[in-house]
Amino acid sequence: MEILMILTVGVLVSVSTYLLLTKSLLRVVLGIVLLSHAAHLLFLTMAGLKEGAPPLLGEEAASYADPLPQALILTAIVIGFGVTAFLLVLSYRTYKEHKTDDLEKLRGSADE
Amino acid sequence: MSTLHLLVLAPFIMAIFVPFFYKGFRRIHTGWFVLALPLLLFIYLLRFIPIGEPLQVVKETMDWVPSLGIGFNIYLDGLSLLFALLITGIGTLVVLYSIFYIANKKDEPLNNFYVYLLMFMGAMLGVVLSDNLIVIYVFWELTSLASSLLIAYWFHKEKSRYGAQKSMLITVTGGFAMLAGFCLLYIMTGTFSIQGIISFFAESGAIFNEALFLPAMILILLGAFTKSAQFPFHIWLPDAMEAPTPVSAYLHSATMVKAGIYLVARFTPVFGGTPEWFWIITSFGLLTLIWGSISAIRQVDLKAILAFSTISQLGLIMALLGLGSASFIDNVAEVAIIAAIFHLINHATFKGSLFMVVGIVDHETGTRDIRKLGGLMAIMPITFTISIIGIASMAGLPPFNGFLSKEMFFTGVLEATTLNIFNVQTLGFIFPIVAWIASVFTFAYCMIMFFKTFTGKYQPEKLEKKAHEAPIGLLISPIVLASLVVIFGLFPNMLSYTIIEPAMQSVLPYVSDPYINIYHWHGFNAELFMTIGVVLFGTVVFLNLKRWQETTFFLHERDPLNRFYDGGLEGLVAGSQRVTNLQLTGLLRDYFAYMMVFMILLLGWTFFRYDAVAFNFVDVSEISPYLWIITLALIAATISVPFIQHRVTAIIVVGVIGFLIALLFVVFRAPDLALTQLLVETVMVVLFLLCFYHLPELRKESFKARFKMTNLIISVGMGAIVTLIAFSAHAARHGLSFEPISQYFVENSVPLAGGYNMVNVILVDFRGLDTMLEVLVLGVAALGIVALIKLKMKEGQDI
Amino acid sequence: MNNIVLLPVLIPFLVGVILILFRNQLPIQRFVSGVTTLGLVGISAYITYLIYQDGIITLELGNWPAPFGIVLVGDLFASIMVVFASIVAAACLFFAFQTLHPDREKYYFYPFFFFLLTGVNGSFLTGDIFNLFVFFEVMLISSFVLIVMGGTKYQLRESFKYVVISTFGSMFFVIAVALLYSVTGTLNYAHLAERVAEAAQQGQSGILTVIAILFLIVFGLKGALVPLHFWLPNAYFGPPTAIAALLGGLLTKVGVYSIMRTHTLIFTHNQDFTLTIILILAGLTMFFGVIGAVSKFDFKRILAIHIVSQVGYMIMGLGIGTTMAIAGSIYIITHNMIVKTALFLFCGATEKVTGTTNLKKMSGLLKTHPYLGWLFFVAAISLAGIPPLSGFFSKFALVLGGLEAERYFIVFVSLVVGLLTLFSMVKIFMYVFWGSPSLSPEEVKKTKVGKLLIPGIPLVIISILMGILAEPVYLLFEAAANQMLDPSIYINSVIKE
Repeated sequence: MEILMILTVGVLVSVSTYLLLTKSLLRVVLGIVLLSHAAHLLFLTMAGLKEGAPPLLGEEAASYADPLPQALILTAIVIGFGVTAFLLVLSYRTYKEHKTDDLEKLRGSADE
Repeated sequence: MSTLHLLVLAPFIMAIFVPFFYKGFRRIHTGWFVLALPLLLFIYLLRFIPIGEPLQVVKETMDWVPSLGIGFNIYLDGLSLLFALLITGIGTLVVLYSIFYIANKKDEPLNNFYVYLLMFMGAMLGVVLSDNLIVIYVFWELTSLASSLLIAYWFHKEKSRYGAQKSMLITVTGGFAMLAGFCLLYIMTGTFSIQGIISFFAESGAIFNEALFLPAMILILLGAFTKSAQFPFHIWLPDAMEAPTPVSAYLHSATMVKAGIYLVARFTPVFGGTPEWFWIITSFGLLTLIWGSISAIRQVDLKAILAFSTISQLGLIMALLGLGSASFIDNVAEVAIIAAIFHLINHATFKGSLFMVVGIVDHETGTRDIRKLGGLMAIMPITFTISIIGIASMAGLPPFNGFLSKEMFFTGVLEATTLNIFNVQTLGFIFPIVAWIASVFTFAYCMIMFFKTFTGKYQPEKLEKKAHEAPIGLLISPIVLASLVVIFGLFPNMLSYTIIEPAMQSVLPYVSDPYINIYHWHGFNAELFMTIGVVLFGTVVFLNLKRWQETTFFLHERDPLNRFYDGGLEGLVAGSQRVTNLQLTGLLRDYFAYMMVFMILLLGWTFFRYDAVAFNFVDVSEISPYLWIITLALIAATISVPFIQHRVTAIIVVGVIGFLIALLFVVFRAPDLALTQLLVETVMVVLFLLCFYHLPELRKESFKARFKMTNLIISVGMGAIVTLIAFSAHAARHGLSFEPISQYFVENSVPLAGGYNMVNVILVDFRGLDTMLEVLVLGVAALGIVALIKLKMKEGQDI
Repeated sequence: MNNIVLLPVLIPFLVGVILILFRNQLPIQRFVSGVTTLGLVGISAYITYLIYQDGIITLELGNWPAPFGIVLVGDLFASIMVVFASIVAAACLFFAFQTLHPDREKYYFYPFFFFLLTGVNGSFLTGDIFNLFVFFEVMLISSFVLIVMGGTKYQLRESFKYVVISTFGSMFFVIAVALLYSVTGTLNYAHLAERVAEAAQQGQSGILTVIAILFLIVFGLKGALVPLHFWLPNAYFGPPTAIAALLGGLLTKVGVYSIMRTHTLIFTHNQDFTLTIILILAGLTMFFGVIGAVSKFDFKRILAIHIVSQVGYMIMGLGIGTTMAIAGSIYIITHNMIVKTALFLFCGATEKVTGTTNLKKMSGLLKTHPYLGWLFFVAAISLAGIPPLSGFFSKFALVLGGLEAERYFIVFVSLVVGLLTLFSMVKIFMYVFWGSPSLSPEEVKKTKVGKLLIPGIPLVIISILMGILAEPVYLLFEAAANQMLDPSIYINSVIKE
C-alpha cells in the first residue's frame, strides 16, 4: 500500500508544482490546494498504513491505527483551509483591482 | 581609568559640550572654548619628554571586553609620545587658526566642525596611545569617520560629498583588511597586545602558524597604505582638499595621514627583518614619492600641489621605514629610521605652515589658482616671509630643517645600497636614482608655488577680492610653525635625545644607546652633490615648465588612476542592477522555478552524497481492490487538472480530488479525518466558485514549448524528489525500531483523559494548544478577509 | 516558577482577542497595546534573568509529560529572542500610533499585531516541532493580513506572491515533519535529539541528513536565504513603514532561529556537510543581498533588501560552529533587530517629511532636520559595523571566530559585504541628508518630526550600549551559545522532568 500511496503523492506534488509554475491566478491557487492534499496524504502514509482498527477505543481491538498523525493532519487541514480561503479572497481582490489574472502582467517594474 | 585614559577620552567628552557652547554663546566663536583642550593636553604631555635620563614607558590598563581579548590599555613610549605631541600641539595651532579662518556667520554650523575635529583628535590619540590592536582599530575607524565628516563639512557642495565618500570607502576598505590582519596576528600569538606580540616573535623558539604570517603582514600594510595615501590608494587625498583648510593642515598633512606611518613604525619590530616587509614598503614608498612629486607639477590649485606634495613626502618617510627595517640584520640601515622620524617632525612643521599660508592666500584673495595669482609679495609681506621659510625647507635648502632631513634621506638611501641582504646588491641602485629624480621634481614644484604666487605680476582683475595682508590672528599659527622650522634647522640636536632617540627605541627595540648627531656640514660628500644636482635640475625643470605641460600626461590635473575608481563604482552599481533584475523579475513563476530547481539540486546532491536512497518493498501493507480504484481515479483526476480550460470544471475536479482523498482516509481507518476533509472540501469548492465566478475563463496558455517543457521537467523533478525521500524514509523507518509516542495516547486516553476517541482526545487535551492556535488561525483569516473586502485604500494615504 | 514561560505567548493572545471587541475605540486600543508591549519587554527580560541564574525553564502544557504533550522550553537563546522581539514590537507600535491611518487601525490592526507577536514568541519558546508549525502559521497568517491591509494595488499584487510562496513553504514544512515523525516516531525536540542521534548511529544518518536539509530549505524560505528570498523585497515595500519595520524585524528572525535550533539540537550528525552547506548559503545570501541593496535607489527598498544580506551573517556563525561564532550570530541577530527597525522608523519619518522614499527626490535633510539625520547616521554606521557600536562587536566575533576556525573565504566575503553595506548606507545618507535642502523653509515648518523620532531613539541608544557594554552582552550570548552547543543540557531539562 505504501508504495502506491507514495507514488500517488509524487503525482500530486508534480501536478501541483506544475500548476504553481503557470501564469494564471486560479491555477496557482489550485496548485496550492493540491499541494496541501499531497502533504496530508503523505503524512498519513508515512505514519504507517498498517492494519488495525480506527483509533476509537470503544472498538477494543488488538491494535489501532496511529492516532497522532491523524490529529496532526486534521490540524493541518483546518489551517490550510483558513489560509486557502484568505488566498482566494486575495486573488479575487487582486483581479478586481488590476483587472487581470495573468501573472505576467502582474510583474510590476523594478522600481515601481 | 588613569589620567592617560582620560586624555584620550577628553576630546570626546568635550565634543559633547560643544553644541551647548555653540547654542549658548553665539557671539563668541566656539573655537575659543575648544582651544583650551588641546593646549592643556599638549602641556600635560610635555612633562613626559625625557631630559637627561631615558624615557619612562607608561602603561595603564582598563578592561573593556576581556572575553574577546579587548582591553583599553595605554602604552606611552617614545613613538607614541612623539605622535601625541604632534596631535595635540598642531591641534592647538589649527584650532587657533580656525577661529579666524571660519567666520562666525549665522549659517555656519561651527558646532559640527568642532565636534568632528574633537572626535578626530580623541580618536587619533587613541590610535597612538593604545596597546591593544582592536582598540587601535576602533579608533582608526573613528578617524576615518571624522575625516570624512570634516571633508563634507560643506555638504551642499557636490565635490565635498564626493571627496568624503571616496576617502571613507578607501580608508575603511583598508581598515577592514587591517582588522583581518590583526585577527590573524591574534591567532598566531594568542594576544592582541602589541607589546605581547613583539615579545612573542622575539622569542626564538616560538611556535606559530607560519602560513598566516605573510597574509597578516599584507593585510596590515593595506590598512597603513590606504590611510597614508600610498600609491595606488593616494587618490583620495587630493579630493580631500575640499575640506576647510584648517582640516587639511591638521588631518591631511600632519596627523591622520601619518597614522599609516605610525602603524608601519609600530610593527617594524614584529615584521621587520623579513625581505617582504623591506621590499613592499620600500618600493611602494619610493613609487609614491616619485608619483606624487611628478603629479604635483601638473596642478594649478595651490592646495592640490600641497596634497600631492604630502603624498610624495609620505612616500619618502615610508620608504625610509622600509629601508630601515633592514637594521635588524645590518645596523648600517639605522640612519634610515632616524631620518624617517626626523622628517616626520619636520614635515609636520613646514607642511602645516604651508597649508596655513595657502589658506591665508585663499582667504584674502578668494582663489588658489596659480594662473590668477602673482605678485603677492608686496601686498602680504608677512605671509610671504613665512612661505619662503616653509617652501625652502620643503625644497631641502639650508639652513632649514628640511635640508637636514633631506640630506639624511639621501644618506639613508645611499647606505641602503650597501646592504648585502635581500637581493639589494642587484636592485638597490634604483633607490638613490628614484630618490634623486623625485627630489628634482620636488624642488620644481616648490619653485612653482613660490614664484607663481608671490613674484610675478599682480593680477587684481582676476581676483574676487581685494587682496590684503591677513589679520594677525590668522598669522600666529603659521608663524609658530615657521619658527619651529628655523629652530629645528639651527638646533636640530635639541630633538636628538629627547624625541628622536626614544622614538627610535620603539621602532628598533634592540638598539641601545644609539649615537645621534645631526648637523649641517658633512663635507663634500655624495649627499651634497646630490642636493646641488637637485637644485640645478629642478630649476631647469621649472624654467621649461611650459614644455612639460604640453605633453598629454601633464595636461590634466586629475590623477589618471581616478578613472579606475570612478569607473569601478559605476560598474558596481550597473552590475548589481543587472544581477538583481535577473533574479527579482517580478514573475512568480520565475521565483518558483529558481526555488524548485535549487531544492531539487540540493536534496538530490544530499541523497547522492550520502547514498541515502533506499527502498523497502517488504514491509508494506496489503492493498484492497477498492483502494486501487480510488487511487487510480485520484491519479487520473490529478493529471487532468492542468489540461482543463473551463474554470468551473477545474474547480470541481479539484473538489473531486478532495473527496477521493476523504475516501482514502476512510480506507485508512481515519474517520474523523475523513469527516473533516469532506466538510472542508465542500466549503472550499463553494468558496472557489464564489470567488472565481467573476473571473474570466482560463485561457489556453499559449507559451513557448520551451517554457512548458521547463515547467514539466521541474515539476517532474519535484515529484520525483518527494517520492524518493518518502521511500527512503519509509525504508529507514522499518530499519529502526522506535516506538512512536502515540502509544502513550493509546494507553492513557481513557484513564487519564476520559475519552474513547483518541484523535479527539489528542486534539482537545493532549495537544490542546495546537487546536487553540489553529482556531486562532481561522479567526485571523476571517478577520483578514473582512479587512480585505472592506478596506480599499489608495496608495500613499499614510506612511 | 515555570508558568511564567507561557506569558509571552498567552498575554498577546488574550490582549489580541480582547482588542477585537474594541474595534472602533482607538484610544483604548492604543493605550492597552502600549501598556502590554512595554509589559512584555519587562516580563521577557525577567524571564531571561531567571534562566541566566537558574537554568532552562520548561512548562508542560496540560501537565502532560514530555515528550507526549507539548512543552514550552525557555532556554537562553529563546528568551533572548523574545526580549528583543518585544522591544522591536514596542518600537514599531509606538511609531504606528503616529503614522498609521485610522482606517487601518479600525480594521483590527492591533489584534493582528498581537497575534503576530503570539506566533513569534511561540515559535521561539516551543519545544515541539508540529507546534512550531502551528505557531509559524499563526505568525504567517497575521503577517499576510498585515501586509495586505489597506488593499492598495501594489499591496495586493505583491502579497499574492508572498502568500503563495509562503504557503508553498508551509506545505513542505508539513511534509518534512511527516518524514521526521515517520523515521523517529516523536515530535518533541529533546526526544528528537535523542532519537536522531541514535538513528544516526544505527546507520540511518543519510536519510536524516536529507530531512535536515529539507528543514533547512523550509526555514530558509521563511528566513529569506538566497535563493529562497525572492518574496521579501517587494512584500516589505508595499505596506506602511510601521508594518514593514515590524515584519522586517521579526519574520525572518524566526526562520533563522529555527535553523539554528534544529541544527544545534537535533541534526547534530554529519555536520561537516550540513554546516558547510549552511556556510555556502550564508555567503550567497550575504552577497546577493547586498548587491540588491547597492542596485536600488529607494530608501525603503534598500532597507528591505538589506535584510536578506544580514540574514546571511546570522547563519554564518552557525555554519562556522564554534562558541564564539554562534555567540556572534546571536549578537548579530539581536543587533539587527534593533538597528534595522530603527532604520525603518527613520525611513518612515523621512517619508512623512518629504512624501516620498525615492532617494533622488530628496536632499539636504541634515540641515532642515538635523536630529533625524544624526540618528539615522548612527544607526546606519552601526549596521555597517563601524566601532564602537553593536554592529562592530557582532561582526568582530564572527570574523575572529571564522578565522580561528580557518574559514578564510567566508570571512573575506563577509568583510567585502560589510564594505558594500557601508557603501549603500552612505549612499542613502548622501542623497537624503547631504546636499542642498530640497524643502523650502515653509515646508520645513509644516513637517515636525520630533515626535516621530521618539520610538527610534531608545533603539539607537540600545545599539550604542550594546557596543560600549559589549562585555556583559557578549557574556550573555556566549552562555546561550554554550547552552546550545551541548544538547544534553536541553534534553535533560525537558525529559527527565
